[in-house]
Amino acid sequence: MAGLELLSDQGYRVDGRRAGELRKIQARMGVFAQADGSAYIEQGNTKALAVVYGPHEIRGSRSRALPDRALVNCQYSSATFSTAERKRRPHGDRKSCELGLQLRQTFEAAILTQLHPRSQIDIYVQVLQADGGTYAACVNAATLAVLDAGIPMRDFVCACSAGFVDGTALTDLSHVEEASGSPQLALALLPASGQIALLEMDARLHEDHLEQVLEAAAQAARGVHTLLDRVVRQHVREASILLGD
Amino acid sequence: MSDTDAGRWPRLIHSEEEAATAGSVSGALAEGRASNLGLVSACSPSSSGYWRTGEGNMLEKTERVITVNAVYRCPLRVVREHYLRPCVPCNSALCSQPEYCCNVGKLLPAEVTHYMVPDSSVFDYFEILEMPELKGVIWLQTVTDALHSKRGWRYCNKLRSLLKDPSHECVLFANEYHVSCYHAREKQTLKKDWEKRIIYAAALWYYKHCGEKIPIIIVADEDSTKRYKVKSKGVYVMTFKEYLNKFYSDLEAAHNSCDFIDEALYEEKLESLEASGINYNKYLPPDILEAGLKSGRYVEGILYVNKHTKMEAFVRVQDTDQSEEDYEILIDGINPRNRALHGDRVAVKMFPESLWKRRMGADHEGYSEYVPTGHVVGITQKHKRDYIVTFPSKEDILYYSRKTKKYLAVPWDYRIPRIRISRKQAEKYQFCRAIIHIDSWDTDSRYPDGHVVGTLGTGGDLEGEMKSLLMEHDISERPFSEAQMGELPVNTAEKPWSVDHEEQDRKDLRKTHLVFTIDPKGCEDVDDALSVRTLSSGNLELGVHIADVTYFVKPKSHLDKEARARYAMSVIWELDMTTYEIKKVWYGRSIIHSTYQLSYEAAQELLDGNLSITGNIEEFQDMEEKEKEDRLQELTWAIEKLADIASHFRAQRGLDGALDLDGIEISVLLDEEKNILDLVPRQQRRIHRMVAECMILANHWVARKIYESFPRQALLRRHPPPRQNLFSELKQSAKAGGFHIDTSSNRALALSLDNAYDVSDPMVNKLLRNMATLAMSNALYFSTGSCREREFHHYGLGLDKYTHFTSPIRRYADIIVHRLLIAAIAEDKTKTELNLLSDRCLEELCDHINERHRAAKLCQRQATELFQCHFFRDKDADRDERCVADGIIYAFRDTAVQLYIPRYGIKGTANLKTKDGCVLHFGANGEKIGWVPGALWRSHKQADCVTSSGQGVTFRIFEHVTVKISVQAQQYHPNSLRLEILSKKPYLDPEARHTPKSSPSPTRELVEENSKENIPEEYRQFQQTKGESLYTLLEEMKNLAIQDISNNL
Repeated sequence: MAGLELLSDQGYRVDGRRAGELRKIQARMGVFAQADGSAYIEQGNTKALAVVYGPHEIRGSRSRALPDRALVNCQYSSATFSTAERKRRPHGDRKSCELGLQLRQTFEAAILTQLHPRSQIDIYVQVLQADGGTYAACVNAATLAVLDAGIPMRDFVCACSAGFVDGTALTDLSHVEEASGSPQLALALLPASGQIALLEMDARLHEDHLEQVLEAAAQAARGVHTLLDRVVRQHVREASILLGD
Repeated sequence: MSDTDAGRWPRLIHSEEEAATAGSVSGALAEGRASNLGLVSACSPSSSGYWRTGEGNMLEKTERVITVNAVYRCPLRVVREHYLRPCVPCNSALCSQPEYCCNVGKLLPAEVTHYMVPDSSVFDYFEILEMPELKGVIWLQTVTDALHSKRGWRYCNKLRSLLKDPSHECVLFANEYHVSCYHAREKQTLKKDWEKRIIYAAALWYYKHCGEKIPIIIVADEDSTKRYKVKSKGVYVMTFKEYLNKFYSDLEAAHNSCDFIDEALYEEKLESLEASGINYNKYLPPDILEAGLKSGRYVEGILYVNKHTKMEAFVRVQDTDQSEEDYEILIDGINPRNRALHGDRVAVKMFPESLWKRRMGADHEGYSEYVPTGHVVGITQKHKRDYIVTFPSKEDILYYSRKTKKYLAVPWDYRIPRIRISRKQAEKYQFCRAIIHIDSWDTDSRYPDGHVVGTLGTGGDLEGEMKSLLMEHDISERPFSEAQMGELPVNTAEKPWSVDHEEQDRKDLRKTHLVFTIDPKGCEDVDDALSVRTLSSGNLELGVHIADVTYFVKPKSHLDKEARARYAMSVIWELDMTTYEIKKVWYGRSIIHSTYQLSYEAAQELLDGNLSITGNIEEFQDMEEKEKEDRLQELTWAIEKLADIASHFRAQRGLDGALDLDGIEISVLLDEEKNILDLVPRQQRRIHRMVAECMILANHWVARKIYESFPRQALLRRHPPPRQNLFSELKQSAKAGGFHIDTSSNRALALSLDNAYDVSDPMVNKLLRNMATLAMSNALYFSTGSCREREFHHYGLGLDKYTHFTSPIRRYADIIVHRLLIAAIAEDKTKTELNLLSDRCLEELCDHINERHRAAKLCQRQATELFQCHFFRDKDADRDERCVADGIIYAFRDTAVQLYIPRYGIKGTANLKTKDGCVLHFGANGEKIGWVPGALWRSHKQADCVTSSGQGVTFRIFEHVTVKISVQAQQYHPNSLRLEILSKKPYLDPEARHTPKSSPSPTRELVEENSKENIPEEYRQFQQTKGESLYTLLEEMKNLAIQDISNNL
């Protein structure tokens, strides 16, 4: 919205966070009993639900099966009520496809697909409320869901978005900040090694600033990792209590 | 898994409470399946770089539901997050927890007495807040957001630069991100109330945070002040004005700005009351208008805007067909007026009776009738004129129309709305008075557009103001052109003008008549002369001779004392010697020679019998004693006879209801450098009345003659009877003073005015007469062909026909009448009749003359006010004696009294009660002490000011008080005088003893006259009354009656 200052003189953003602060993240694993793995994450007001099925036989055409590794199939869907205006999104539209592709690329890098040849792992992510950083939320949710499903991964995949306003890098952008038109990038990171699983930017940014923004995103992703780690441990703790350790 | 594991993980900070998430999905989930989900939440940890150091802040998440009004879209409701933190830098030097707050940069000083927190209602006074003298200002984030949304980025930038500027002691406190200061907005609360609550909470927190060392003052509007006034110690709420008065009472600039802003806001408020939908209706197309006017659906008339309440205007409709009276339609408000200006000829459609409104003008307080109301549907003829305006200064943002980037110029005349001028022109003529022409007024704009066509110099000096006054009334003072001057006959020392011997058809009165003129001292144009003589038949011959302007002569020089013959138009009556009945009348051209040129004062002295004045009369200078005596006797007889005749005719007119209403005329005395020395009210003496009466007689008879000869083309003058509703104030004031005024006819009015005489105070009668004058309608020139005969009546003079004949040098109408008269007396009628104006042309000419005359009168009145203001302007109102004078109360308003000051002839109002409820308080000796809170009761007869301590003072009608006169300077409009009551006692002007007595009323005069008459010798011995007048006679009789005569028996 025009007229809203993304970063005030005192260093506050629109919602009162400082430049490098993350939004409140809440997550839960194992929300769906019938799926192999599921997770629900809330990053600020962005809410994403991820469900993982697999590894299982390849459905559909056998020709697609890869002899040495598993096929990762990601689908992204955004609920019609997820944005401020209710919008009907057809299933196969461009944005969904692209995001699905990105998710696939991300997880192919992280999941140890060699362990499950000729099989398929389905990851379905649905965004229930989109308030900025949908890709990051999807990735984080999917990570948790995959972990919940017990599929081995190299490392967590933690994602965060970052932007650049007034010479400062902002992390974990909300919808207002994303819609303002400032350059923003999404980063998916494997935190232990610091390897980047996916880096995506769709705007113009001077190369001098890239380093700064990238660093901020990486920091934020590491923060997310800490959170997700905690969530997983908490989940395991609870599960083990239930099982009667 | 035990808690010891927690030690292995990096230190995380929990947020202890679950955020209060109103209406979000997770909230529902949390409630529904809290046990299952048990969402784990965490906050962002701290680290170096972009993250906060130290203990780390616990962020708490709340949500705000905001309605976003995007352009070209319906409003969206969005949910936004809002994070609160426990430490927000307070930016004060008095911070009690500096390590917690981590204040950097500019800090609020510790040495000030208080900190000020402005509210969103003080944005109007932003320029005062920008002053560096105001120290210790805390700008809350809520307030800056409100500033941004209400006033735009321009103000925001100003504020930003203020905050950065080290010389200004102001800081920003982000109260909305502080966990203790922020309250969520409850459902159904207004944004305004929520803001106020937040501001108060922030101020309270701030006070506590600074260790309760320094008080915080919130500056807000009246409502908040009342609500939050006494809630807690240390935080105070007051309005901006109070704040300024308390802490910055000596900061003149701030107070001036404040007053000016208040004024502008008030005016804006008045304007916006009606401008809720600025869309004006389009005008109807001309053919529909015409059809409507013909069929009577719409009526046409001229729009007049009420000077005192700009919102009200009315259209005066002249209904010549059905009824006799003009009636008025009220146009109440800006929208119904539909962009018509004062003076336009408009077509009006009347509302049905259910929508009729009441008039609310300041003069019509008791007037509560519903009058016909309507709205303007079209303008038939625009009043084409240019207006004088003043431009506001560049910094005056209130007059800057943000939407269109143009300036609003304020016109001199209160009745014209502000006019939009382009920025370049406004800046060029910034401090001048400019003349602008209005271009257009669109249906969707609140103000008309215009451009500058000329300037009048900077305002303030007398010359400039006179010029603007003349311009406003469209009176041109251009000198006559060369060609025009060339048409006049030559009369110089080399070629003196002399009587043309070919003029045979003029009656030569030079030898036979004693003709003299009586005029004001220093008068240059002498156009009327009088003569009276006894005829052989015993009857008297009275003559009035008017300069014959068809042979225009230059005013005579004082050097030339030779016998000067003048061409004249004469009216000569033959009167019966005793009854003064008119036997014969003769009209014609003549040649006269004026024997004496007397001044009013000299003639009055002769009339009074003071013969020593002859020393001052020029014509008597070189005469010998014997001749002097004879001549003097002749002249005195003539004057006395004239006076006698005049009073007879006056009495006759009195029977028909002539009114004696003397206007209050002021003459201004100037010295050599054109500075105003003094303002002197004019006196009306008997000699003035005499001359006036003769002129009235001449006018009347000429009217009869020309009407007789040209019943359809004569130019006469009529005075329609006044409207009864205008007499209400007069009746009220008179009744309060114990007099009854009967306004049913002019005779009744004259009689009751004569009777309304207070012996102890002659001013009362004058005042009542003056108030009667206000109710009078204007006398008009008209063409006899366009009016019915019964409308010819002149109400004020009590005559059935009247015209203007006696001053052709200064009135154009008189020249027309002269031509008519010449045509009427000519033997060969056919030749002259062709030169006369037709009825239609004459009617148009009359309209024009009437209009110019009105403008001239108005201009004269305003010029008098102008001079009055200038006279008082450079006098110190508190010290100069001339600024204090005696005043008489003649009416009561809601919070003020109306006064008349006879010394200067000023009428005005003086306040008894101020807006904030303080009334005048007087001490025991009647001297004013000051303004104290109290109440005011008023009726028509009196007003009581009672202070809250119970002491009271009463003002009665027609009471004399002492008044102080000062000038109230205005930037855009003419200055006005301000009157204040100083004391309840009448003011004894030391000079008053030297000024001549004011003239007595007619009855008094009559009594005087009769008692002055020479009582024949034989009756003198029977004279019993010791006194001189009828009054004393009656008193004596009364005393005699009461006397106890039993002793004498």
